[in-house]
Amino acid sequence: MSYVDVAPALTPRARRRRILRRRFLRRPLAVVGLVVALAFVLGAILAPVIAPYSASATDFNSVLGHPSGKHLLGTDELGRDVLSRIIWGSRASIEAGVLSVLLAMVVAVPIGLAAGYFRGWVDTVIARLTDVLLAFPFLILAVGLAAILGPSLSNATLALGIGAVPALIRIARGEALALREEDYVRAAVANGAGEFRIIARHVLPNMLSTLIVQGTVLIPTAIIGEAVLSYLGLGVQPPTPSWGVMLSDAQSYLTQAPMLAVYPGLAIFICSLSFNLLGDGLRDILDPRTTR
Amino acid sequence: MGGFLLRKAGAALVVVFCASVLVFVGVRALPGDPAIALSGESNDPAVIAAVRHEYGLDRPLPVQYVKWVWRALQGNLGLDNRRLPVAQTIVSRIPISLELALLSILVGMLIGIPAGVIAAVRRGKPSDHTATTFALVGLSLPHFWLGLLMIIVFAVDLHWLPSGGYVSFGAHPISNLEHMVMPAVVLGTGLSAVLMRQMRSSMLTSLGADYVRTARAKGLSEWSVVCKHALRNSLITVTTVVGLQLGALISGVVITEVIFVIPGFGHLTIDAITARDYTLIQGVVLVTATGYVVVNLLVDVVYSFLNPRIRVSGGAA
Amino acid sequence: MTGSLRRRGTLLVLALAALGALAVAAVAAARTTAPAAAQVRNGGTLTIGLSEEPDALDPTLARTFVGRMVFMAMCEKLYDLDSHLNIVPQLAASMPTVSKDKLTYTIKLRKGIKFNDGTPFNAAAVKTSLDRDLTLTGSVRASEISPVKSVTAQGSSTVVLHLSTPYSPLVSQLADRAGMVMSPKALAAEGTNFAQHPVCVGPFMFKDRVAGDHITLVKSPYYYAKNKVHLASIVYKIMTDPSARTQALRAGDIQVEDRIQSSDVPTLQKDKNVHVIKAVTIGYQGLTLNIGNKNGVLKGYSNVGTPIAKSRDVRAAFELALDRSTINKVVFGGLEQPGCFPIAPSSSWYAATTKGLPCNLHANVAQAKKLIQQSGIPTPITVHLLLGGTDPVNARLGQVIQAMEKPIGINVSIEATDFTTSLDRGTSGDFDTYAVGWSGRVDPDGNIYSFVASKGTLNYSGYSNPRLDYILNGARKSLTTKSRDTLYHAALQVINADKPLIYLYYPVDYFGVSKNVTGVQVYGDGLIRAQFAAFTK
Repeated sequence: MSYVDVAPALTPRARRRRILRRRFLRRPLAVVGLVVALAFVLGAILAPVIAPYSASATDFNSVLGHPSGKHLLGTDELGRDVLSRIIWGSRASIEAGVLSVLLAMVVAVPIGLAAGYFRGWVDTVIARLTDVLLAFPFLILAVGLAAILGPSLSNATLALGIGAVPALIRIARGEALALREEDYVRAAVANGAGEFRIIARHVLPNMLSTLIVQGTVLIPTAIIGEAVLSYLGLGVQPPTPSWGVMLSDAQSYLTQAPMLAVYPGLAIFICSLSFNLLGDGLRDILDPRTTR
Repeated sequence: MGGFLLRKAGAALVVVFCASVLVFVGVRALPGDPAIALSGESNDPAVIAAVRHEYGLDRPLPVQYVKWVWRALQGNLGLDNRRLPVAQTIVSRIPISLELALLSILVGMLIGIPAGVIAAVRRGKPSDHTATTFALVGLSLPHFWLGLLMIIVFAVDLHWLPSGGYVSFGAHPISNLEHMVMPAVVLGTGLSAVLMRQMRSSMLTSLGADYVRTARAKGLSEWSVVCKHALRNSLITVTTVVGLQLGALISGVVITEVIFVIPGFGHLTIDAITARDYTLIQGVVLVTATGYVVVNLLVDVVYSFLNPRIRVSGGAA
Repeated sequence: MTGSLRRRGTLLVLALAALGALAVAAVAAARTTAPAAAQVRNGGTLTIGLSEEPDALDPTLARTFVGRMVFMAMCEKLYDLDSHLNIVPQLAASMPTVSKDKLTYTIKLRKGIKFNDGTPFNAAAVKTSLDRDLTLTGSVRASEISPVKSVTAQGSSTVVLHLSTPYSPLVSQLADRAGMVMSPKALAAEGTNFAQHPVCVGPFMFKDRVAGDHITLVKSPYYYAKNKVHLASIVYKIMTDPSARTQALRAGDIQVEDRIQSSDVPTLQKDKNVHVIKAVTIGYQGLTLNIGNKNGVLKGYSNVGTPIAKSRDVRAAFELALDRSTINKVVFGGLEQPGCFPIAPSSSWYAATTKGLPCNLHANVAQAKKLIQQSGIPTPITVHLLLGGTDPVNARLGQVIQAMEKPIGINVSIEATDFTTSLDRGTSGDFDTYAVGWSGRVDPDGNIYSFVASKGTLNYSGYSNPRLDYILNGARKSLTTKSRDTLYHAALQVINADKPLIYLYYPVDYFGVSKNVTGVQVYGDGLIRAQFAAFTK
């Protein structure tokens, strides 16, 4: 807090947070998104407690059973409780969805920031490499990586994370490029403040809102990505449940038990919708055009 | 204009080259010995060694790469595990995926463009909120779930449409469309959501512009003003969205082809990776990357025609 | 101002919705009135939907099972199989005469036969084909007829094969691709590209091929039994998706469906326009247990030291915990045939070789638990299961096995990879147990030797038992059915005691044929025979 600090002081920031919170609560859809998304995350963490059965408890005498008192959503082709598998399956989706995005951010933000802030040859190299990686569609990249690494949940998470890195680099780079021209940054540079300090105090915090929004909106893509990889057999391995695996298993029984395909897809849909609503709400309230 | 294009084309070429190296190395990183995969059920060591030599797998990597690139430039992408020419297989599958992609874009446009216009015109009103929410729903809906649901309803229950497969347009045009309806709708829904949002925002921008107010003041009917702008904006919107969503579109084509078992290029990609068919994987991924870069280039060109400001500044950051 | 817009906007939405509804209705209506594609004239083109793409149509290099189906119509062999899987002469005139020392096979050939390019079929042509099979680089047939030292042509219609060692499975190999005779003229012209324009002796001849799509054969004017051939052409259409295949059959786009997937079998069996052929094949599916494969097949075997490898009791317990009947019901919808031996019931060798040997179709968990205790190995025992596919059926099989082994204290950990990687791992010994099968060969040697003999090229188990080697080598050298019966019976006893493999079921293949087609047959070898089929109307 030196005499020459030109950055916005704390009080306006706290005031801003209150404004944002109020705005958020005024948007019912965003609140719904937040609540449901939290519910899924909690459900994933508390799965051992709330799931009525284990995910792999088979019962070969009651396969493809209808919903009943014992099994609220019925049983699947090996006699396992569908409700329990949906609950346990949320673990794979949340883990892959959230972790892969975090991983991508941790890798992409520093790189993109460096490219956008320092420019020069660093920027050129990073921009070209990003272009090359972006020449491969996200899914193809993820599928290819999962194939190389071998099928497993952690490898799928890694593949999804790596797949998201190029796009995030571009976004971070763009943000850094724009922020670097801001008055307070130029002033700090003129005043001789160290580069690291500038980045830490002025550039990064102001990128935060965009990054949070992008991250939140990326989570549904990652969740669906995990489901797709598991559907293709490149994600979780049996008997670990995953909504994608449940969908692929259900496809062989569409005539006999169509509901087996409905439940897991519904779970994916509601989960990704909630994160999308949350992300949209965040984007609306954090829109620089209305708060800066 | 020429300089801009040349620069873009040059950059694209560099990207394709780097992508080819990446593909080559990536495929070699796949676990397993390709010679064994190529030898099929035969486990005879002599056969495996002969196969290894025939496919040049015993030469050093850079030599293999150069050979591959040289042949690829001549249109020869080698032979796959079944000793069938990769290039031929790819060429036969691309039109199918192209048809699916184009039909999906059409469906997306039919739903998304009007929805975006209406939402822009009724901004803030209930219909805007409904449309925006529907767009959000469309974005969150997983392709493959929508596909399975449609199969359950339209194929299994009602028997109106086939549950999957493909019939070429030349053989049975009606049957071809029957097979394409559900896949195109599934893919088009996601696209329509993005198109709707983009259309809405671009319409809002142009409807607020000064010259529109002038036109209104001149007494032109509201409807004709909206229509004129809608038409102009829709072209830019579609181009922009297709450019931005190209990756998602390709991924969508892949997963849709798997669910509906359409023997297109996307399905080929998955089959190649699943079967560890190295030559085929190389060819497929190279073509995908090249196609992606080329389409992006085209989008940039079209966009620069529509929006001269981009050309002058040398491209968006 | 906005009012008119609102009305206009609503009109637009309604119009679009109406258009959409009309479109769906039109499509649905068109479907019921679209004409079926089945031909009604005599002659005609039979379209067969194949489940996979054949590889090169070159008998010396061919590796795929579906390739054999295409060859069935265009490339006859020295010998063939009858419906009971007995070997009968096809291009040969009679069964071979074998010398006393069992090293010389004299085969008399049919006379007056032409290849499908008009050139004459004779002993020299047979010699050329067999020489090619033995010497061409990369020939897949070489190992199948490896005991053949040389081939001589005696006159124009007798061929003599000189063997380096007695080998009774030889004739059964001549009833497969090794026995297919290629036109020397075509071989001279095409060389290694024979597959581009293959020419053999056959009721049909090769016309064209589009990779990934179809192979077309047309009736041959040169065939020696032309009057038995009714169809004008056969088209093998590649349809890798089983659901699409079934649909195509029901729609009449194809008249024969290769291997119906299990979920479609009940539907097709109820379909009045389709006849379902059930063929219990001569192959098997089961679990290969890694006992001695440490460094790779044929690279020296020594016990790998896992509980499964160390203890016979653990292996026996593993088998007793599996309920073959439930596996068949839950994993395969009851459509396969559970069994316990490498020789299938449809084989003529089954009765004699399996007589008196135990086969548990149901689990015996109590006995299994006892055996685990007896083994002295502490539970829980971890066993890795390698699956050769990431598809739902493989996943189900893995999970069912896992669930069945849990009560006896064995924790099965599933590793699913693609088929080719799994073959790789099987070869290198990188597995504990491996769910893999074999498409089956007519001669019992073909289902046993490669897998459990010390010199077997597919011995993933790394099992090496000198006594079994002695029995199997003896069975190869003996030529009478009676002595071979005894020997293979002894072999099955050894295998049953040591359990390098646990056999679970014999694959049953289901084929669909349109009711307006007659004469399509499938024997226990699982190959579609349509060359003498015809349209009934």
